[in-house]
Amino acid sequence: MTLKYDFDWPMLLEDPYREWIIEGFINTVYLSLMAWGIALMIGIFIGTIRMTRSPMLRFIGTVYVEFFRNIPLLVQLFVWFFVFPLMLPHDWMMSWNRLPHVPFLTALLALSLFTAARVAEHIRSGISSIPKGQFDAATSSGLTQVQMYRYVIIPYAFRVMIPTIASEFLTIFKNSALTLTIGVSEITSAAKSIEAWSFHGIEAYSVASVTYMTTTATVVLFMGWLEHRLRIPGLIAKK
Amino acid sequence: MTDPLVDIRDLSLWYEKFKALDNISTSFSSGRCVVICGPSGSGKSSLLRCINRLEEFQEGDVLFEGQSLRECPNIAALRSNIGMVFQHFELYPHMSILDNITLAPRHAKGKSKADAEALAHTLLERVDIADQAKKYPAELSGGQQQRAAIARALALEPKLMLFDEPTSALDPEMIVEVLRVMRDLAKDGMTMLVVTHEMVFAREVSDEIIFMDDGKIVERKETDDFFSNPHSKRAQDFLDRILMKI
Repeated sequence: MTLKYDFDWPMLLEDPYREWIIEGFINTVYLSLMAWGIALMIGIFIGTIRMTRSPMLRFIGTVYVEFFRNIPLLVQLFVWFFVFPLMLPHDWMMSWNRLPHVPFLTALLALSLFTAARVAEHIRSGISSIPKGQFDAATSSGLTQVQMYRYVIIPYAFRVMIPTIASEFLTIFKNSALTLTIGVSEITSAAKSIEAWSFHGIEAYSVASVTYMTTTATVVLFMGWLEHRLRIPGLIAKK
Repeated sequence: MTDPLVDIRDLSLWYEKFKALDNISTSFSSGRCVVICGPSGSGKSSLLRCINRLEEFQEGDVLFEGQSLRECPNIAALRSNIGMVFQHFELYPHMSILDNITLAPRHAKGKSKADAEALAHTLLERVDIADQAKKYPAELSGGQQQRAAIARALALEPKLMLFDEPTSALDPEMIVEVLRVMRDLAKDGMTMLVVTHEMVFAREVSDEIIFMDDGKIVERKETDDFFSNPHSKRAQDFLDRILMKI
């Protein structure tokens, strides 16, 4: 049996397809990297307050994590896109809708907050793996709680967690594909449009697949480099 | 200087339902080295950990230089005057020895980086590991790590040093190098409270011995007196057992 399919790879280099691919690639990378930066900051903060002594802070952290982790990302995207603006006061809603790139901003918001909940959980498990004596040592030396986390606990926990954090970093690239549902022109949406215009689905989705594979491969290489660089001499074995 | 340096008043500590410290009252003067001994579970470490409020005690109070720990508005600042050394060293594994030592002086005491590093180098020399400053904790032997930890505690320029079983996790030959550092500290007039099972150290170095059992201070005596003439039956039994071992 032979495949009846007329391959046309060069077409990908022609406009408008070339343009769509470039735009899609840029949006995917932008969205993922920006969301990752925000998710990391919020996630470290939320994960840390869940480990503090204050019941109030722990409660806030727990509510955050359970809320954002237990609703499917797709539903969260729709809620942010369709429901959230309706809940704003009228003037605010109007100015929100008038912002440029509303789909992109909404996608960034949703993806960041969702991923932050997952990062927070990794941070929390990283922190609980740190021996109690480290907290005692830092506390007894007169560091404040904030200084203790800032200089001792989080840098230590972060090194232990690099592999899990890396896999979360990969996930954010793949999750960014869902944002096509609210109209973000990322790479999957570019592939979908190319397929719809040209009926060349294999070429179109190959581009998307290769994009994800190369970006995630880059992340894997980067995180491996980081892991090696931050390796604690004598403690975490060389590979 | 306020005397006594540490004043403990009717101190009780519970872990859930277990009463770890039972209504303890005692005090410690500057310049003295006091060894706290007793069977395991007797509350030695708990008592030590109450003195910088690492344990939140439920009853009574501890006064450090006359300042109540219970009502202390800035407990972190108070702690930065008390050095503490732990059984398992607790050096920060992701920092070099130098960074371990300069962290608290810089961030808790507001020293400049240069001042803190100069102090660190002096202290490393004092504990005889001047050449290890750039290494990481896991690259050092146990004895070296504990001496680095002592240097880290001394970098606070403390008025009091607390030692919580500092040699219990070490091999015999490393114990000697750590005890030697501690002996020199005591000779230089550092105020020290030492929880330890090293009775030879206690006899040679300490000024006083406290014997604890069941969360209470059973006996407190000048060192020579304690060894030659222990008052309580429990202290006698404890000494017999411990000295028999040697």
